[in-house]
Amino acid sequence: MKKIKEIAIYGKGGIGKSTTTSNISAALSDAGYTVMQVGCDPKSDSTNTLTGGKSIPTVLESLRKRRGNLKVEDVIIEGFNEIYCVEAGGPEPGVGCAGRGIITAIEFLKQENIYEKYSPDVVLYDVLGDVVCGGFAMPIREGVANQVYTVSSADFMAIYAANNLFKGIKKYSNGGGALFSGLIANSVTFPAQKDILEDFILQTKSTIAGFIPRSLTVTQAELWGKTTIEANPDSNQAEVYRKLAKSIYNNKEEYIPSPLESDELKNWAESWSDKLLELRKQEEGDFKI
Amino acid sequence: MSNRQTIEDNYEELFPIDLSKNTCPNREQRANGTNVYYGKASKLLDDAKNNKILCQERKFQQSGGCVLNFYLAVRVATIRDAVTIFNAPVGCSSSALGYRELFRGVPVELGRPAQYNLNWLTTNLQSDDVIYGAADKLKNTILKAEERYSPKAIFILTSCTTGIIGEDIEGTVSEIQDKINARIVPIHCEGVRSRLVQTGYDAFWHGVLKYLVKEPKEKQEDLVNVASMLSYTWQDRLEIERLLSKLGLRVNFIPEFATVEQLEKLSEAALTAPICPTYTDYLSRGLKKEYDVPFFLYPPPTGISNTDEWLRQVAKYTGKEDEVEKLINEEHKRWVPQINNIKEELKKLRVDNKKIQVLGSLGQGRLVSQLPYYDELGLESPAAMSQDFDDLLMDELEEVIDKIGDFNIMVNTFQAAEQANIIQNLDPDLTFTCPFQGGNWERDNNVTRIHSLRGDADPWSAQSGYAGAVAFGNFIVQAFKNKSYQKILSEKTEKSYKDWWYQQPDPLYYLERGE
Repeated sequence: MKKIKEIAIYGKGGIGKSTTTSNISAALSDAGYTVMQVGCDPKSDSTNTLTGGKSIPTVLESLRKRRGNLKVEDVIIEGFNEIYCVEAGGPEPGVGCAGRGIITAIEFLKQENIYEKYSPDVVLYDVLGDVVCGGFAMPIREGVANQVYTVSSADFMAIYAANNLFKGIKKYSNGGGALFSGLIANSVTFPAQKDILEDFILQTKSTIAGFIPRSLTVTQAELWGKTTIEANPDSNQAEVYRKLAKSIYNNKEEYIPSPLESDELKNWAESWSDKLLELRKQEEGDFKI
Repeated sequence: MSNRQTIEDNYEELFPIDLSKNTCPNREQRANGTNVYYGKASKLLDDAKNNKILCQERKFQQSGGCVLNFYLAVRVATIRDAVTIFNAPVGCSSSALGYRELFRGVPVELGRPAQYNLNWLTTNLQSDDVIYGAADKLKNTILKAEERYSPKAIFILTSCTTGIIGEDIEGTVSEIQDKINARIVPIHCEGVRSRLVQTGYDAFWHGVLKYLVKEPKEKQEDLVNVASMLSYTWQDRLEIERLLSKLGLRVNFIPEFATVEQLEKLSEAALTAPICPTYTDYLSRGLKKEYDVPFFLYPPPTGISNTDEWLRQVAKYTGKEDEVEKLINEEHKRWVPQINNIKEELKKLRVDNKKIQVLGSLGQGRLVSQLPYYDELGLESPAAMSQDFDDLLMDELEEVIDKIGDFNIMVNTFQAAEQANIIQNLDPDLTFTCPFQGGNWERDNNVTRIHSLRGDADPWSAQSGYAGAVAFGNFIVQAFKNKSYQKILSEKTEKSYKDWWYQQPDPLYYLERGE
């Protein structure tokens, strides 16, 4: 069996995780690889831009309806450029346990031997949030992903989520869990944002896998229900994603980062507070334009 | 001023019972409870007074009950005209199995209802319910309960599962309450919420007080509430009924085999009296606060002198002071000679005139009720086991120590190994143990006996009141005279642990001391 590259991409909600993941999937698929993308978020919209903006049946909802009769074909839907799209699914906001949902969905996929059936070169798990519980840590636990990335902006809460992810990776690393391969810096427009993220990776002995500037092209493509790769293949932004995808595919770096303790993180953030306020003003100015 | 008075005076401030809340505080919060201790009773008392009781962890722990299963799973379903719903995976209700058959051992002639079913359902929570929430399932189960049994009340017992996923039980109840006739009573007994099983008692009473007890239509001056746990026996109910009826009083036994109406009318009673103080505590205080029903918590009616005192307390609140002295006199004439015979028999068993040593394994309530009784019989208690301890019973423990001297207390919930170690090392002449505490195994030179079986209807097993004092005394004498149980145990069982454990001087060897 060929070596499959299994990647988990984490990050705070709304940070551009699904957009980034889908564009990486599209770029890799364009480059000739067989790609599978698994959305691990109860919102179930990770793969929307790969399926023309349409929702696909989720693993959990289908399991609920079909129980033992569920066939994996029913929940693996081909999207843009034959990318295999999967959505784990989950409960409505405010009820049940989304973490248990992720566990159940991933266990189902593992039991169904989807890698043998679909033989992907790359599998990308797009995972919600900052590893709040055991369920959301599932993709970094033993036997699922082998490389982890996090999408983060220079916003403090996004960095907080990245730091939590580092804690999760460190915890599971002894038991054969996934290792970290880099931070994907999203929405980085100003030099100060770059400085903040570079300082954070220095403090946590980690690396940056790539920078993605803020771009209206991305927003536009999303509104059409498409990735930038599909909607604007010749744009600069598409080129940014293609480069990122290639570097991620070839990235051999795998390590355990050094998360900051909560006090350390607080002190670190304080040391940047003046700059952050400055940035906030610049961003607001940016939006006004 | 005694601790009790201090606590009573400041009770509202110290432990407010707030029925606007969904449930009670747990015993750890309310009363600094613990289930780990071994040492002098006086030290435990000092620690309790100085707020120094620690709820520590064990590195090794044997199985035990939980807030749901130790008490509620077994007893709530006995309430007549009611249905119990376990909002839980199916296994959480397993300890309720078999109780219908067990309680059938109580003859109808002794007051067990002839038409007799234990109505309980489970929501049988599964993976999907955990992921998506189980509000609809609970709703449907409630409707099913209404349709099948037309009950007056539906008790919902929550579980670890519903607790962890944060099920909005009250939200579901308020949505459906208007559509059905039964009163719905959610009880927050999530196993993970507390390690002290007494939290389950309090959670149950909280639900009863909040949802079932009604404003009194009229005060019934001859009605006495008695919470009658059936780990005391059916015979104890009969004895208490017998005694109180001689004072012209009626007993409102709750909750086992009570009707929903009996629970609704708790507010109309003249008094709430204890059989087990730790069990009755929350209910008594709640009824006092909400409906001004007076209560006392000590002593329970165990042994002759404590039964005297219990009756006097009952009489005090019901205006039967004259009648009670007459009753006590009459009863003494009948029972005290029998107790004296028992004392003589036990004296004969002494070697070198040394008092016979009895080791009781008890709940907190029995701890403070049975030790004075053993003392009354001329027995000595080198140590006593208690499933847990909290500061609700500080004064009572102090009284016991004053009366019978200091002794060792082992506090643990079903930790059979710790118990085995202590029994082996103290080597008492007689050990009382609960079947759930795993105390039955080969013992060479002393007697092991089970103290009671839940719902036992045999007069032989009674413990309360005068008849109970005599029956229990005879039971002890018999345990020494007939050693066949001991003989069979010795022949048929092996020691449960390796020698090093029995030789281990510290029964709390596995305690995490935080060093």
